[in-house]
Amino acid sequence: MNYNFQFNVVWRNFDVLLEGAWLTLQLGVFAFTAGCLIGLVGAAIRSYGPAPLRWLVNIYVIFITNTPALIQIYFLYFALPEFGIRWSNEACVLIGLTLNAGAYLTMILRAGFLSVRQAEMEAGETMGMSLPQRIRYIVVPHIAKSIYPALANFFIVILVMGTSVGALIGVDELTGQAINLSTVNYRWLEYFTVAALMYVVLTFIASIGLALLGRWAFRVKARIF
Amino acid sequence: MPHLAVNGIHAKYGSLDVLHGISFDVDRGEVVSLVGPSGSGKSTVLRTLVGLTPVTGGGIEVDGTSIDYRSSRSVRAARDRMAIVFQQYNLFQNMSVLGNVTLAPRRVKGRKRQEVEAEAMDLLDLVGMAHKAHAYPDELSGGQQQRVAIARALALRPEILLLDEVTSALDPELVNEVLDAVRRLAAEGMTMLLVSHEMAFVREVSSKVVFMDQGKVIEAAPPAKIFDAPDSERARDFFGKVLRG
Repeated sequence: MNYNFQFNVVWRNFDVLLEGAWLTLQLGVFAFTAGCLIGLVGAAIRSYGPAPLRWLVNIYVIFITNTPALIQIYFLYFALPEFGIRWSNEACVLIGLTLNAGAYLTMILRAGFLSVRQAEMEAGETMGMSLPQRIRYIVVPHIAKSIYPALANFFIVILVMGTSVGALIGVDELTGQAINLSTVNYRWLEYFTVAALMYVVLTFIASIGLALLGRWAFRVKARIF
Repeated sequence: MPHLAVNGIHAKYGSLDVLHGISFDVDRGEVVSLVGPSGSGKSTVLRTLVGLTPVTGGGIEVDGTSIDYRSSRSVRAARDRMAIVFQQYNLFQNMSVLGNVTLAPRRVKGRKRQEVEAEAMDLLDLVGMAHKAHAYPDELSGGQQQRVAIARALALRPEILLLDEVTSALDPELVNEVLDAVRRLAAEGMTMLLVSHEMAFVREVSSKVVFMDQGKVIEAAPPAKIFDAPDSERARDFFGKVLRG
């Protein structure tokens, strides 16, 4: 291969890529956090809620997990304006990713709800704790600890695969910026090599952050690698 | 008027009847023991008292006020006055010992953290576990966990303490440390209803022993009477087997 690598072009625009990476991290963290809240409510309803609410959650989960995230975000961006609802491209990615993550996290957290020791829930009940209190003080710490690896993996999925969908509707996150810059001077190979490495660094930083959070908040002894 | 009156209660698991009209009284400051073969419904009696197993007939009164187990407010009032300690301790695994003991007083009763923690340390001291206040349940032996579970139940300031086979899951060596804690409570005048297979202990601490078999009360009498000269053939047979040797 007679290719003349020219990375200095990339370094000159590195700050643009960094901005993209920062936006990627923000999108990922927000969608994951908000998705966790949706997932927690969804899993609680599926575990303890009345039948009609359980059906609603089931429909949401089935609908979202069986359609591509790209279609969900395109729907928000291109189809909703037909109904007079117009959101910015960033808002569409954020809302789309959050709804998408919420459905998957409902399923992931549901496994955590199922694995709570019934005896602890009974103990809490006899101590006068309400169901929301039992979820808050017994189920959530249990989930955080027992399905921590699954949660951390899913965060990486959103951070890497989820957010890059934004590039397709012009959100300037890391992938988007790499596309923008390469179309100017055709240094695809250099830009995408560097962008890929930045994703690796980003997930590495995120993994360390998650491990520290887990250790600090939930006594999880997580290995980073 | 008895402190706790159990009046002909019935209960079932699915279609299986497990209690067929159980009646007995517990007076204030008294220690009453439920004994009998496995499957006789002893633990179920305790579970119905705290509203974990529904009562399908008969009634329960505390200080003459009957508890309506279909009303969540009434059940809450019952749980306010009775605390239960389980055979398998059922400690919250993701919380320290101190966290286990202070959770309900703080979050359910809304009491101040400092006050609750000070009281919790006193209770842990009472059961000999103050030095492990910051340990987690998985770092403790079964006997230690059970003593923490007793402190946790006492932190609710119950009028009646229910103990469900609290030594059955323990190594023989660890049984006494838990029984000592219960002895101390009995000496302090705590009203207790306990289910136990430790016959020597039952005889020592109880003022009354209720012998159950197949969901019925066969005989209820002071320990000396029921252990040495029971009226019923079934009790004679049971105590003859468990006390031999």
